Amino acid sequence: MTQASQDDGGTVQLSKEAPATGRVDPSPSTTAGGAVVNPAPRGRSVPELAGLLVVLAALVVLFAVKSPYFLTTNNILNILSAIAVTGIIAVPATMLLVAGQVDLSVGSGAAFCGVLLATQVAPRGLGLAIVLAVVAGLAIGAVNGFFINVVGVNSLITTLGTLAVLRGLTQLLADGQTTIVTGFSALGTSRPFLSIPLSVIIFALIVAVGALCMRFTVFGRSLYAIGANPVAARLVGIRTRRVLIITFVLSGLAVAVSGLILTSQLSAASPVAATGLELTVVTAVVLGGASLSGGRGTVLGTVLGLVLIGVLNNGLVLLNVNSFWQDVARGTLLILAVSFDQLRQRFSAGS
Amino acid sequence: MPSLLELQSVRKGFAGVPVLHGVDLHIDQGEVLALLGENGAGKSTLVKIIAGDYTADDGAVLVEGEPVRQHDPVQARALGIRMIFQELNDAGPLTVAENISLGRWSARRGLVSWSSMRKRAEAALAQLGAEFDVSRTVESLRIGERQLVEIARALSDEARILILDEPTAALSSSEVDQLFRAMEQMRSRGVAMIYITHRLDEVTAIADRVQVLRDGVGVLDSAVSEVSRTQMVTAMIGREADGVTRPNAPEGLGPSMLEVHGLSSGALFDDVDLEVRAGEVVALYGKIGSGTAEVVEAAFGLHPITAGTMRLDGVDYRPDGPATAVDQGLGFLPADRKQSGLLAIRPVAENLAAPSWPRMSRGGFLGHKAERAAWSRWREALSIRSRDEPGQPIATLSGGNQQKVLLARWFERGSRVLLLVEPTRGVDVGARSDIYRTLRRFAEHESLAVLIATSDYEEVVQLADRVLVMARGRVVDHLTGAGVTSAALTSASGGDVA
Repeated sequence: MTQASQDDGGTVQLSKEAPATGRVDPSPSTTAGGAVVNPAPRGRSVPELAGLLVVLAALVVLFAVKSPYFLTTNNILNILSAIAVTGIIAVPATMLLVAGQVDLSVGSGAAFCGVLLATQVAPRGLGLAIVLAVVAGLAIGAVNGFFINVVGVNSLITTLGTLAVLRGLTQLLADGQTTIVTGFSALGTSRPFLSIPLSVIIFALIVAVGALCMRFTVFGRSLYAIGANPVAARLVGIRTRRVLIITFVLSGLAVAVSGLILTSQLSAASPVAATGLELTVVTAVVLGGASLSGGRGTVLGTVLGLVLIGVLNNGLVLLNVNSFWQDVARGTLLILAVSFDQLRQRFSAGS
Repeated sequence: MPSLLELQSVRKGFAGVPVLHGVDLHIDQGEVLALLGENGAGKSTLVKIIAGDYTADDGAVLVEGEPVRQHDPVQARALGIRMIFQELNDAGPLTVAENISLGRWSARRGLVSWSSMRKRAEAALAQLGAEFDVSRTVESLRIGERQLVEIARALSDEARILILDEPTAALSSSEVDQLFRAMEQMRSRGVAMIYITHRLDEVTAIADRVQVLRDGVGVLDSAVSEVSRTQMVTAMIGREADGVTRPNAPEGLGPSMLEVHGLSSGALFDDVDLEVRAGEVVALYGKIGSGTAEVVEAAFGLHPITAGTMRLDGVDYRPDGPATAVDQGLGFLPADRKQSGLLAIRPVAENLAAPSWPRMSRGGFLGHKAERAAWSRWREALSIRSRDEPGQPIATLSGGNQQKVLLARWFERGSRVLLLVEPTRGVDVGARSDIYRTLRRFAEHESLAVLIATSDYEEVVQLADRVLVMARGRVVDHLTGAGVTSAALTSASGGDVA
């Protein structure tokens, strides 16, 4: 369905003799070249990321020149810990988008888990509250997975629905108030190793596991197959429903972890926390080269996308730009990223 | 008198790779010219030049003896050149009448006149000898009817030269008959038609003249009455074709691998019995809609079973989906390669290895080495024509080579029973006989049990040891050994499916 017929009989025939389909010169600076006649072997996902690296390098140079504080260790750690909360969710979001699915409920899910923790600490104690929050995250993923893969509702619509439902439930649960949490700051603020924040370490671990999983496990490879053609994937014996439900549950788990870290960082849970987080997550994943039509994308690319967004936000703050411009910049970045994806696909299909 | 349309030594290349090396073509009023050639021979490029989509690098296009200076889509339209594509190009949710007037609505003072639109549509369909309610939506029609609507659109738009690109690929035989009647009508009105096909029986049935392209060169141009099928095939593939010969009877069949008793699935098929033994190729032959594909799909767990039983290698078998069927040693090739077979953008090695991932992995972990090795091995064993590059997307291979990869999937997986639906649809003649040879060889040497569903009787004759003929969801006849002939198959499949 998402896989519109990009190559009809004609292109297939020609490509047997014509030199290339979708091959872009692997050197980063020459992506704009018109006719591509270089028969070098296809470099895996390098071309998509090349553009990103160039933009990132340009921003880093710009901000470093404008602000002496930008390249300090402290600021770099700031950027990383700002990325961590989003990034933990962006890893399973990459898996989902590679499989042709999207989860928009991540922001309100994270707020829900945070508020659930905050409101349950007093009556049930911290340990049980954490367990409840994690179970809630898993349940959110399971519900999304159920409606999308068993009932058959499109993932965009399902998670748009759960986005609204969860935000409403969060407000009800919190009674519209921010709840203070005491004695739960370690997760978000401790720096156990080389003064690197714990949240960044957790993020790095999840990235490593996610990247290995996508490239070197049957589960990860199945996601690419499902994204490329869900019907064909099912016919080669992949249990597509099971794989997708598991991935949505993983997304729910990441949402819970993120919600807990966020609450811990602020020592408080606000019912409007993480509003719009889904936008940042999708932007990062798409910037990182994942295709909206499925079958393409890497965790490493997503990390680059996250770093780009983090650097942009941080730099704009350092340059004292009105913070509303951050939204403008992020939205623009998303549209640019998707346009780039479209152009690349058209370029690939048309050569 | 000059021809209606003439091409003189047309050359065309893409990115420096020549596709057409000086091709001549001419066609007169009321003539049906069959254009034959394997995939990649240059047929599509040639007709796209005629339709003005491509500009020839060299050579001339003449209409009624006058050279056309700037041949582009607008010019081609003005000259009355229309093309009917293999894939439908209609607007599904709109009515037949609207589709026939698409882009040329009859309007008065800016308002669409529905009555004149209906009249125009009815008149155009009547010219084709077709009758159906023009107020129905096009998506509610059968595929053959939709094709007639497209032809009616071309006709009502004053087509003088009509190009039909494999129009019968998805049609049942009664629909093919209807299409041919419509073509006869147009021929009698003086419309010239260029007909691209893979099926030789259609050439003899409808065409006046046949032209064969091979590797961008015209290699045969003759009246259909003066050329034999063997000559046509030889011209297409450039060597003597294996004639339509029966395979040798297998020696010493193995045990029964797949047994089906009284199998029914709702309205799809009813009370089917069949058995496939190890080393044997069994065909289910019938027109599209007769239930052959559905029986094979049901054996792979794709349709609910409402009655009857199946046994696999002597053990009760009832798959609840493709995953269990694959686990139990079945392999499946769907009819529609692009929609349900290919992971088009993924590497060819991955396409080949996907069903074998569980076996290639250790504790869920999977390297790329085993998969690349499998690709190299099968590329050689099945002479798959492509670069030795496991990372190339499978979409860059030609249809026949893609199909070989999809078959190799199951050889690599070690499947014991192969279920194949229309295994050579859209596959050119050369690759087709390769696929037949491969299937016969594997059935014999690897003791595979092969069950195919097909609507192509030549395929049955060349490939199958035994045939079950189906019509209207039931098995109506059995043919074995020397009894499997085109004539017997055609008569056994009998009346048409409503």
